[in-house]
Order: sequence, then structure tokens, then C-alpha cells
Amino acid sequence: MTQYVFQQVINGLALGSLYALLAIGFSMIYGIVRLINFAHGDLVMIGGFATLALVSAGVPWPVILVFVLCVGAMAGIAIETVVFRPMRGADQVTGFIATLAVSIAIQNSTLMALSGQPRNFSFPAFMRQRIDIAGSSASLTDLTIIGLTLLLIGGLFLIVYRTKMGQAMRATAENLTAARLMGVAVNRTIMTAFAIGSALAAVAGLFWGGKFGQIDPLMGFEPGLKAFVACVIGGVGSIGGAMLGGYILGLAEILFVGLLPQEYSGYRDTFVFLLLIVILLVRPSGLFIRQTEERA
Amino acid sequence: MLEVRELNVFRGATHVIKNVSFNVEEGQIAALIGANGAGKSTTLLTLSGLLRPRSGTAVFRPDAQEVDLTSAPSEKIVRAGLIHCPEGRQIFHSMTVRENLEMGAYAQLDQKLVSKTTAEVLELFPILAERSGGMAGSLSGGEQMMLALGRALLAQPKLLLLDEPSLGLAPLVIERIFDVIAELRRRGVTILLIEQNAAMALDLADTAFVMETGSIVLSGSGADLALNDKVRQSYLGGAA
Repeated sequence: MTQYVFQQVINGLALGSLYALLAIGFSMIYGIVRLINFAHGDLVMIGGFATLALVSAGVPWPVILVFVLCVGAMAGIAIETVVFRPMRGADQVTGFIATLAVSIAIQNSTLMALSGQPRNFSFPAFMRQRIDIAGSSASLTDLTIIGLTLLLIGGLFLIVYRTKMGQAMRATAENLTAARLMGVAVNRTIMTAFAIGSALAAVAGLFWGGKFGQIDPLMGFEPGLKAFVACVIGGVGSIGGAMLGGYILGLAEILFVGLLPQEYSGYRDTFVFLLLIVILLVRPSGLFIRQTEERA
Repeated sequence: MLEVRELNVFRGATHVIKNVSFNVEEGQIAALIGANGAGKSTTLLTLSGLLRPRSGTAVFRPDAQEVDLTSAPSEKIVRAGLIHCPEGRQIFHSMTVRENLEMGAYAQLDQKLVSKTTAEVLELFPILAERSGGMAGSLSGGEQMMLALGRALLAQPKLLLLDEPSLGLAPLVIERIFDVIAELRRRGVTILLIEQNAAMALDLADTAFVMETGSIVLSGSGADLALNDKVRQSYLGGAA
């Protein structure tokens, strides 16, 4: 039994890693431009298909990882400059609808270009082996996803809390006017936030495809919504909160499926969104943000 | 150093600044006084590039440069040395005192100069050195004002725009802030000051402008305006 629970926990942490990668970008973008970006999930799909193309071309995996980060960053920058920048200063609802439009446009142009046929790629065979840890075992794929995610998040925290650009991003997120008065070039800062957030989302796409073995043009929708839930759990606008929210959601989802009788497992998404409703009712500003710090 | 001509600014449909013209000469303290809603803050926001005028010109001339404030992006205006210390202080609450000061020096490339100025600011406001690692949001109002001033000084201002530095502060703290403003003039910083506390502002100012509903209605030396009957009645609370 403990062995089973352990495996479920590893599984939940791996899924949580994907949600966390996605939720962090979601939260960064909201924090800095107050935009709920529903196109964020589609970067998972873009990352997935970029991986597929590179795998087919025989590119080695470490190089693929770097490339996918770059593809995600460039896609994020493109979306920001083409769609969101001209709408800066428009009201929130307009921005929100624009993100839905971007999402639909990305999904459908991919459908047209590549058809809705699911594709697959898989991690190299050795990734499928199981590693023994203290009498239990875990798949190398899951462990790699968890490890790389923590590395990427660590890198992100270094950027946000230890570099001048990160400091400018935090300043812009807290007080746009004051940041401009300090000489922060706000457009460049916003672009950087989109680039970093989107790069992380694209890597989540790489992991997603490798873990579940299948990608398709509409695959970004569900993880996008889940990342939104993770953000709400952690407190929208807080990077640390989004990360923890992602892990909590991943663990909760897997443990719900793993520990309850089989016939309930089809209701996992119901459970996730019930959790969203409960959090919104009980702690609308998130678990990790004190109520007084709530953002407008 | 600053030349504003026939400036017109709208906020939405409201005509907030109407044909405003004035100059600020190098090394002076200029005061802009007037009631709430007269358009003083809007004037400053326009000068720092955060609002764009409908018409008119505003030119900033530090040294040999010439910056068109009606079109230059705000980061370029900051780099040229026009520094705006905004109304309500607007410090970064979730950052430490040290990080706030670093943000002031954001556009500075000369790290030696930054450390020298940081040392000067901490000497000017020892409380900031004491609280250096604490969150800026936990400072008292007076301390936050000192932080906002210190942060502005780290930007190496040639022209400093000060929006209501005394607002909501205790008399002793206000005196301290005004001492610092006078000290800054001695160091060669040109200052454009907005104040509700007209008596103190006029006392310190070389030139002053009175703004009413978006227009400048009176101007003169600080001492002259302090003796002007209309100013005394409206802003100094004294009988004529």
C-alpha cells in the first residue's frame, strides 16, 4: 500500500510539474499586464508540435529542450507584439476576449495545417525504465520531468529575484506608473515576461507529449484551464503561489483518481473544477496570498 | 532648463490643462500652487511622458541636450535627468528599502556613481540605512517619503519634479523634507515643486505659478506671490 501511494505521489508530482510550469507563466503575465491569457495553454500545443518536428529530424534531446524553450519564447513575443500590445490600455474584458480569439485562431490554424489527427512521439526507450527508491519504484520519465521542472523554476526564481530585469518585472507588476518613472522600458519588460512564461509553457508541451505519448492541435485547452485553476489556488499574480498551486492540483487530481474506487476516476475533471469553486468561495484571493494583499 | 508653451492636455473628454506656458530656470526652485484638481499633477505627469498633450510644446534642456517631452518615451526622459517623485510617494511596497533605492538607479550605468550616491542618500536619511533590508511597505509615512526622495536622488536628477512631498506628514517631518529640498538646490538640482502647503512652498521658491482650473493665473517670485492679496486669501488662509 505505501508503495502504491508513493508511486501515486510521484505521478502526481510529475503532473503537478506540468501544471506548475504552465501556471507560473499564466501568473507572471497576469501579474504584469492584468490579462487572463487563455491562449497560454496553446503554447503547450506549440511546444508539443515543435518537439515532434525536432524528434522527426533526429535532433538530440538536450538540444530539443533548448529549441523548444526558444520556440515558446518567440511564439510568446509574437503574440504579445501582434495582438496584446496594440490593445494595451483597453479594458480588461476586451483583453480577455482577445486572448480567447488568439487561442481559437491558433487552434484552428493548426487544425487546418496539420489536421486533427493525433500524433505521437516518445522519449527514448531508456526513459521508460523504473528506478528503485527506498523499496518503491518510479518511472525515469516522471523523475526527469520533476527534476527538470524544479531546475527551470529555480532558474526562473534567479531571474526574477536576482537580476535587474527581474527586479524591473516585479516593479512593473506592482506599480506600472512608478516603474515607468524609474526609467523602466515597460514594453520590453512585458515582452520578457511573455517570453519567459511562454517558454515554460512550451516545455510543458514537450513533457506532456513525452509523458502521455500523444499530441493534437486542441491539446492545450485542458492544461490551460487547469493552469488557471492552479493559479486561483495559489493566488493569481504570485509566482510562488502558482507553482505551489500547480503541485497541489496535480497531487490532488492523481490522488483522487488513485485512492478512490475505480468508478470515480472518470470524474477527475469534475473534482478539479469543484476544487476551483470551493477555493473561489472560501479563499478567493488564493491560499498563499494574505487577503489584505489582494490585487485589484 | 524647462520650457513649456501653450500646453493643452485632455484626460478622456476633460480639458485639464489649458494653454499653460511657463519656464523653469536652471538652479531654481519653482513652485506650482493651486487647489485640488487645478491640474498640477497632470502637468507633471505630462512632463515625465506618462500623459501626452493634445497640443503645445515642452522642452527639457539639460546640458547641451534637448529633449522633446511631448514625444520622448518616459525611459528616455528619465535618462536625460528629468526625475518625477510622484504624488502619494508610490514606493514599491513589496520590495525592500534597498531594492527601492536600486530601482531609483535603474537607468544608471555608472556603478561607481550609484554607490557614491547611495552612500550620500543613506547619510541624508539614516533611517533608510537602518531599515535597508525591511519591506518598504512597513515604513511610516514620513519614512516612505524619505525613501521616495532618496529613490529619486539615485536617478541623478537634473530637474526634479516633486508632487506634494508634504502630504499627510507630521510638521516635524515636513520641515525635514523641506530642509532636504533646500539642500538639493544648494547642490545644483533644479526643482519644480507642487504643494498644498503654499506658505512653505512660496517661502522656498525662487519663482512660483498659481494654477486655477487648468490655467496659470498668476506668476512671479515666491516672495512677491506670498505678499499678493489674492494668493493670501485663497492659499495662505490669511486675511488680506
